[in-house]
Amino acid sequence: MSQRKDKPVPLTPPRDEQAEAAFSLWLQRGLHKLFDEVANEPIPEELLKIIEEDRRK
Amino acid sequence: MSSAVPFHDQVIAILPKLRVQALALTRNRAAAEDLVQDAVCNALSAQDSFIPGTNFAAWMHRILRNRFISNLRKRRDTTDIDDVPSSVFATDASHEDRLALKELGAAMTRLPTDQREALVMVVVHGMSYEALADATGCAVGTAKSRVFRARRQLEAWLVGEVPGRDAPRLGRLADRKAEAKPSSGPASSL
Repeated sequence: MSQRKDKPVPLTPPRDEQAEAAFSLWLQRGLHKLFDEVANEPIPEELLKIIEEDRRK
Repeated sequence: MSSAVPFHDQVIAILPKLRVQALALTRNRAAAEDLVQDAVCNALSAQDSFIPGTNFAAWMHRILRNRFISNLRKRRDTTDIDDVPSSVFATDASHEDRLALKELGAAMTRLPTDQREALVMVVVHGMSYEALADATGCAVGTAKSRVFRARRQLEAWLVGEVPGRDAPRLGRLADRKAEAKPSSGPASSL
């Protein structure tokens, strides 16, 4: 093995990494809360009608 | 495979994602609905130009994006409001969580449009950088950079670590959260 044991493996990620990960998780949850409702709303009838009319052409 | 799915079914299936992209671009629910409808009409008119077996989602997202840009050139009115549905803030979430969500919504509206769109498509849609690049007609490196910068900017505004034009106002969120919840939950990351 060419790699030597001169580089200690950290048991826990550095504080910055923890903060980054926590912010990422928070951001992900927040964005889902902000946008999921919009995605899950029923499709307007008018829009479906346009698509179905075009399909029948 | 998506190529086996009839064109119109693919259009219907992608509507929720188009709505999210449209809201990310317009920041306005009514404008987002109009934009989706316009994009769908454009796609229906141009369906012969779609090559079956190619990336339908990217094709559709590009149409919506182009339509947004075209509308923007015609009418340069951007509503600088936090147009997040009020019901989002009327959940059983704690007062602090609602405040944080509101701050996030406000900060999102201040991001540059391409960054906001990129962040939402990656984080909310779970899109890969490659798919994002394809959908927005940019290089993969540009897509990555947009998401990275958006995320960093939000962190700077919301955590208040990086001094900037808006940091002091948004930085209060961190202070409020620190006062309310000194040591627990996601709030501690803010």
